[in-house]
Amino acid sequence: MIRVKYAFASVLILFAALSFAQEAVTKEKEPGHYNQSKFKQLYEEFATPNTYRSASGAPGPDYYQQQADYVMDIRLDDKNAKLFGEETITYTNNSPDDLEYLWVQLDQNVREKDSKAALKNGSGISLGDSPEKFVGNYMTESFDGGFNIDYVKDASGKALPFTINFTMMRVDLPTPLKSGDKFSFDVKWNYNIPDHTVNRARSGYEFFEEDGNRAYVIAQFFPRMAVYNDVEGWQNHQFWGNGEFALPFGDYEVNITVPADHILDGTGVLQNRKEVYSKEMMSRYEKAKKSYDKPVIIVTQAEAEAAEKGFSEKTKTWKLKAENVRDFGFATSRKFIWDMQAVKLGNRDVMAVSMYPKEGNPLWEEYSTKAVAHTLKSYSSHTFDYPYPKAISVHAKRQGMEYPMICWNYGRPNKDGSYSDRTKYGMISVIIHEVGHNFFPMIVNSDERQWGWMDEGLDTFMQYMAEQEFGEAYPTAIAPNDKYPSRRGDPAKIVPYMSGDQSTISPIMSNPENVFQLGPNAYGKPATALNILRETVMGRELFDHAFKTYSHRWKFKHPTPEDFFRTMEDASAVDLDWYWRGWFYTTDYVDMAVKDIKKYYVSDQPNKKMKAYLAERGIPESNLPPMVYLEEYDDAAMVSPELKNNLPSETSKTLKEFMMDNMTAAERAAIKEPKFFYEVTYNSPGGLPMPLIVEYTYADGSVKNVTYPPEIWRKNSKEVSMVISSTSELKGINIDPKMETADIDTTNNSWPKKEQESDFDKMKNGVKGK
Amino acid sequence: MVCTMVMKQNTMKILKPVFLFLMLPLFAFTGAHKFYISVTNVDYAEKDEAIQIITRVFIDDMNTVLKERYGYPAVLGTDEESTVDKEFLEKYLRTKFLVEINGKTVTYDFIGHKYDSDMVICYLEVPNVPLKTLKQIGITNEVLTDIYDDQQNVVHMKVNGKKKSHVLIKSRIKGMLNL
Repeated sequence: MIRVKYAFASVLILFAALSFAQEAVTKEKEPGHYNQSKFKQLYEEFATPNTYRSASGAPGPDYYQQQADYVMDIRLDDKNAKLFGEETITYTNNSPDDLEYLWVQLDQNVREKDSKAALKNGSGISLGDSPEKFVGNYMTESFDGGFNIDYVKDASGKALPFTINFTMMRVDLPTPLKSGDKFSFDVKWNYNIPDHTVNRARSGYEFFEEDGNRAYVIAQFFPRMAVYNDVEGWQNHQFWGNGEFALPFGDYEVNITVPADHILDGTGVLQNRKEVYSKEMMSRYEKAKKSYDKPVIIVTQAEAEAAEKGFSEKTKTWKLKAENVRDFGFATSRKFIWDMQAVKLGNRDVMAVSMYPKEGNPLWEEYSTKAVAHTLKSYSSHTFDYPYPKAISVHAKRQGMEYPMICWNYGRPNKDGSYSDRTKYGMISVIIHEVGHNFFPMIVNSDERQWGWMDEGLDTFMQYMAEQEFGEAYPTAIAPNDKYPSRRGDPAKIVPYMSGDQSTISPIMSNPENVFQLGPNAYGKPATALNILRETVMGRELFDHAFKTYSHRWKFKHPTPEDFFRTMEDASAVDLDWYWRGWFYTTDYVDMAVKDIKKYYVSDQPNKKMKAYLAERGIPESNLPPMVYLEEYDDAAMVSPELKNNLPSETSKTLKEFMMDNMTAAERAAIKEPKFFYEVTYNSPGGLPMPLIVEYTYADGSVKNVTYPPEIWRKNSKEVSMVISSTSELKGINIDPKMETADIDTTNNSWPKKEQESDFDKMKNGVKGK
Repeated sequence: MVCTMVMKQNTMKILKPVFLFLMLPLFAFTGAHKFYISVTNVDYAEKDEAIQIITRVFIDDMNTVLKERYGYPAVLGTDEESTVDKEFLEKYLRTKFLVEINGKTVTYDFIGHKYDSDMVICYLEVPNVPLKTLKQIGITNEVLTDIYDDQQNVVHMKVNGKKKSHVLIKSRIKGMLNL
């Protein structure tokens, strides 16, 4: 074997020298540069790990988070659409720092009279406005929807000085709040509830002209503590409307007083069920707790329609208690129909709940609770068992908004009760999405104000899996489709965005206020990136374990993007810096292509490349050690039939001798000698490195699939050549045959280049063929 | 939350039209939310010397307008669809979608239609248009503006490397590409 090693070594040295020599001749002196490799580790982009957040992506030994507990009395004035509240906030400072002041969020101030949020966007004269829009833009007094703060007092009743800066209120403390101490204070407030259907609000009412009722979906309705942590200090980035919320965990006791004929549900466990339920409702509720296969109606449509006419002057107080939640929301109306069923998760029962006005039927009674129950099961299986006692889906026109245990969802049938597939799938998808938000960001509590993709992207990815699983679980519900028609998640669906005009695309790692297209930016692209990571880059086993690890590590905690990125690598041993860099930190896109292909045959004589090399250096051919050569097939006519048809060992005496010396007769007989040699050059005009998935087709009909790892692009991200050999002639090359990588241009993916039939021609030829 | 609504609120109202063009194809096909939008691509096919048009309209909107306008209970995109549905679809398009070449209205062939999730995609062709003679294309697109005041018909035109995009609305129904 010593001889073998020698021969290989000499070949290697020679060729290394050769390629070096070529470069030296052609390249001019260029200036130096920083490390521009797409595979460079993300040391500059990532925050340095510390004792709060470990390099593994897990919470560090000194990780802490603050706690904010609330006791609130809320009163709804239905006639005037006004909400009144008195709350006691108990804030626990678990940080190592002493705090001189507290920041409290006043989100409703985003719609205060003459709010500067309305002025945040530049505008141009539109081509034309509908009269409705024109009146809204130029002829309507701005709605006064900001908080009126009556007082801020400490526990002894002494007024605390406070300063309001738009949607943030600084409460100055008499003495700094020491690390480990608690501070309680009271706030009394009220505000005018907006019509959420007119001016897009995440919370408000819908007014039903036919019966004069309102259906309320109420959230970010009380002054809420801002997050204080090791990353941002106080996260008091203003609420401008797009960047959602950053909130600490805490326990809530909330008493809500509404008209006596209202039906109400919200975050937490109802404490006085017997006081607010009728006897009939109680017995139906007991049935629902044992119904695992279908919902039980708690308030029927007939009962809701009767209640619509009541307009009771009396009131009722619903008492809710919630533990370890980051927020609180509720919905209330006379119009609500209500159904519930139980869902078994591990050894616990969770209630899946839906509330909807009759305008939502027949769609809502058919699908809402089914979708809630399915979401809880699907998401739990990919992360952790849903830890809260219930999940409610409330129907609100044009809404899609999430809070702990409760969310608002669109999907309204036509007046005659008919509905299109678009409405149906839109409704099921939005319910899966919003219920799914319980996991991200309600429990895995990322900072939405700064990183929209951390909850929206992860949730949209989970939504895609849950939708596909919904289709598998309920084939009749999605018929005649054989697959749930997901709107996001499939790689091909993100191509129009990623191939778009670069001036209107932002990296995923951008603040949600500052991007051009929030939908693809925070939802579609990260969801697709995770889907590709799972299916194509890591594989389901490695991905699922790592994703579960992240979910468990950061359940009921506050993760940052690095915590996610680091954990995915830490738990899988897949180096993903290149992937995070390409997909999350840049606007690069995937475009891989077959650039060139050259055919070679085995020769006993030095090939042209070698001859040129020797000639340049004046080395006689006789100095060469015994070698096997591959010669380019540049002119097929010039190659003798023997060379074309012989096996390599028949052509090359060197090879024959080597085989005779080093192999037994049986070993030699077992070898299948390749006759066909090719140098294939692939390039990547897109610049986003991805695994190079290639399907090779041969003359004998065989097909070989090869997935070259993304590292193939690590030294040259633009171009790479590969020598391949085969026993049968190569007939075709096709990159990414299953469209797994979001390649934006597939016309350059094949050799020989396929004339791709345009969409129009397909239709034209299809019609002709009929 | 769900992003489609944010896009409608902010981007459609406030962003410059150029941004609008880019995102329309995306959310027209991804929007579960009610948007009144159609997207049309007008291309010149050199090998056929023809103007080829692909227009995408929401199926439910099309069924609604056929019912309101002609009193015909259209069921496009369902198993019950018949040739009559297609005839009404074509009839409506020929009324509301007009092609002009060098200032003159021309007739087009209705090649066919197909479905992609909630969109109906129609293929129209104006044959025998030599590139040399082509100076100007005009598209009048009033599709669905007879029932929706907010309907926006986006038209992307591309001929011989020259591109132009228009957002057509009820008060501005025609877009041109000069060569």
